[in-house]
Amino acid sequence: MAVYEKKYVWGILLRLFHWTFALSIFTLVVTGLYIHWPWTNTWLEGSHQFTMATMRWIHFIAGMLFTCAVLARLYLWFFGNKYEKVWDFLPITGRNIKNLFSTLLYYAYLTDHHEERLGHNALAGTAYFFTILLAIVQFITGFYLLYPENSFFVSLGSIFGTQQEARFIHYILNWYFAWFALVHIYIVVWNDIKHPEGLISSIFDGFKFAKKEQ
Amino acid sequence: MNRSLFMGGIPGTMSRRGFLRACAIATAAMGLPMEMVPKVAEAASDPKRPSVVWLHFQECTGCSESLLRASHPDIATLILDLISLDYHETLSAAAGKQAEENLEKAIERGNYVLVVEGGIPLKDGGVYCKIAGKTAVDILKRAAEKALAIIAIGTCAAYGGVQAAKPNPTGAVGVSDIIKDKPIINVPGCPPNPHNFLSTVLYFLTFKKLPPTDKFGRPLFAYGRKIHDHCERRPHFDEGRFVEQFGDVGHRLGFCLYKVGCKGPETYSNCPVIRFNDVEVWPVSVGNGCYGCTEPNFWDTMTPFHKRLPNVKIPGAGEGIQASAGKIGKAALGVTAAAVAIHAGVGIAKRLATGSKSEE
Repeated sequence: MAVYEKKYVWGILLRLFHWTFALSIFTLVVTGLYIHWPWTNTWLEGSHQFTMATMRWIHFIAGMLFTCAVLARLYLWFFGNKYEKVWDFLPITGRNIKNLFSTLLYYAYLTDHHEERLGHNALAGTAYFFTILLAIVQFITGFYLLYPENSFFVSLGSIFGTQQEARFIHYILNWYFAWFALVHIYIVVWNDIKHPEGLISSIFDGFKFAKKEQ
Repeated sequence: MNRSLFMGGIPGTMSRRGFLRACAIATAAMGLPMEMVPKVAEAASDPKRPSVVWLHFQECTGCSESLLRASHPDIATLILDLISLDYHETLSAAAGKQAEENLEKAIERGNYVLVVEGGIPLKDGGVYCKIAGKTAVDILKRAAEKALAIIAIGTCAAYGGVQAAKPNPTGAVGVSDIIKDKPIINVPGCPPNPHNFLSTVLYFLTFKKLPPTDKFGRPLFAYGRKIHDHCERRPHFDEGRFVEQFGDVGHRLGFCLYKVGCKGPETYSNCPVIRFNDVEVWPVSVGNGCYGCTEPNFWDTMTPFHKRLPNVKIPGAGEGIQASAGKIGKAALGVTAAAVAIHAGVGIAKRLATGSKSEE
């Protein structure tokens, strides 16, 4: 019988990042879709209910928290612990490239071989890397839309074209994050069922379980 | 709308194109699809013009004035061409006995639409408004008997208006408080928008019935939504940018008039959409808040006109959503910076304490 030992993997700042990111994404997707399609508009607007204004307000606040979370993650890419650093999980080393493909095969039920590792696997890490890049695009386009008269955000946002083009990118990415959240939760639960490493609890307390080397 | 679009070559006439254009505008105002324009035009050009009796009671003639004034002769022409106006005190050529005879004849013929302008006093037997020796309430009851439908034009005829304001010395009421057995539609406003009156008349002519109304008897197509929800200054309200006092910087920049008493958040009307006169203005667009003149008893409930409405919460915790979110965002950024600083500080301290990188 395999013996497992407790290993500290996720630092407190990363866990704070994760939950701020997760909850702000949930809020942003819900309020963002309302802003896109204000379906209560004919029966809730008026003197006492300003649903659109409230939704936008919540969306903006959640967007600020989302931005802060992304900035914290960017800091951890370079100054986090061993597992949090960006080169630990990007497919830039032979080990990670191998892991990327083996994870793809493993998720497709084409192999039973599974590399035990404490940090992100290379597939997840790559997905998170691009998600953070898209998150940067999302908050830049968001600030571009929120402050259309601020020369800093306008010059920054103009990378993505006009306000309308930026709005379109912002809207498409809103769907990306909704999709990402669903896929992420599915794969995490799938992994948690298949492996005794304690993947889900690790994002609460920071500890994972690894086979003790004997 | 440019009036030349409606006018025919001869002054005071209307071109076919202008006629169709006015019908299309009225159809759109009624919320009907464009396929209905030919039907509305057909009803409007029916040679059998419906007879209309127009009564004036406690009023200022502002409703007639706004309807007929020279700034939009097209609408006036259309209305006067649409209907056979058998009795209208201010417009009729006849006066005195002849005018009263016309009224009697029209009532005897029956099958007319009754338009009422002005409130009706009931106190002391209704003596506070008399025409040709008869009280307003008697004239109304007599004229309503054979009417097909009644259109109460203006807030006075609809709900009593200014003379019904506290303490209502003459006991003034609206038409629907007296007449109960006839279809009545209210087109309130002080004055109401002529387009709304025209659309109501055209709806009646096209469908032979009155349009659907809200609980105050107002046609839903015109009074179905709040001014606030269609107002061009609404974004300023949401963002917390207000005129604090008339003539200040915010006023010159066209900010929201809520704090100087705009009643838009509690007033139902299509003013921001349909607007007034040839130059397409309405009170808010020229820098004065809405007075709520389409609402019943607005002289009592909407005054003082330049004090803000109670119970209206400004979004974004009272300071506007953008400013509020910006403040929270700066705080969050500060917390993040502090968290990162602590993280870095702890890392450096650990390295100094252990003297190596073995922790990683």
